[in-house]
Amino acid sequence: MSDDTFEPEILAFCCHYCAYAAADLAGSMRLDYPSSIKVVELPCTGKLDARYALRAFEDGADGIMVAG
Amino acid sequence: MIVAEQKPLAEMKTLINGAENVLVVGCGTCVTVCFAGGTREADIVSTSLRMATKLDGSPQQVTHSTVQRQCEWEYLDIIEEQVKAADIVLSLGCGIGVQAIAEHFPDAWVVPGLNTSFLGLPTEHGVWEERCAACGECLLAVTGGICPVARCSKSLLNGPCGGSENGHCEIDPDVACAWQLIVDRMSSKGKLDALLEIQPPKNWQNSRDGGPRKIVRQDLRLVEFED
Repeated sequence: MSDDTFEPEILAFCCHYCAYAAADLAGSMRLDYPSSIKVVELPCTGKLDARYALRAFEDGADGIMVAG
Repeated sequence: MIVAEQKPLAEMKTLINGAENVLVVGCGTCVTVCFAGGTREADIVSTSLRMATKLDGSPQQVTHSTVQRQCEWEYLDIIEEQVKAADIVLSLGCGIGVQAIAEHFPDAWVVPGLNTSFLGLPTEHGVWEERCAACGECLLAVTGGICPVARCSKSLLNGPCGGSENGHCEIDPDVACAWQLIVDRMSSKGKLDALLEIQPPKNWQNSRDGGPRKIVRQDLRLVEFED
């Protein structure tokens, strides 16, 4: 795959109270983002564990984003 | 508690080299609370090994399980089938845990994923310090509850030595002089005079110098008596 066609799979871990709500609002506003970004809702980003990140990479994610 | 730390991932990879199925066994006791070999660490190590061996082009099947206590055979029965299915068991227990698994499952090949460091306690988040040398003849009653065997670099029974500098040991300014701590403690308790009594040479036969140690409690043994 050449660089210009590479579309990374990104897992976005989002806090229920801020980033996830923002993503929800973005949807309501009909804003779009690449389908290669998968949002995972967390009750709080403090819930994020190194195991989640490792499992994401093991299962094929190219990157993870933590938003909270 | 027994304090241990993980071996580098590269060393663990070497230890499991050639095995198709690897079982990582965590321990729910000391190494859980020093964040070296509990459920979480066993999961992270097994995931890391799966990814690392996959990147190397020779992926290995790595699973994990954690027992409540690796250092007692009874607690190991629960992983019997998993151990049988594994080519290598990577123990994230202390050295006792590794040996307990090897003794309980003679057919298994068991390797250590941790370096067992010392008997100690956490003094702040992320910091553990040695407190006991398991010398077999406790002196804490005469030293105000501060162990000179474990905490004095020379294990002096009568101190401090000339290397005590402003409360620190000459070997490292970050190391407290155990005997300064003892003197301060005894002074605060009004018992400094007790230190005038010279401690005689210690019987080190009760420590490692006497060879491997063993305790037998006849009142606790399950023995069948002959008529």
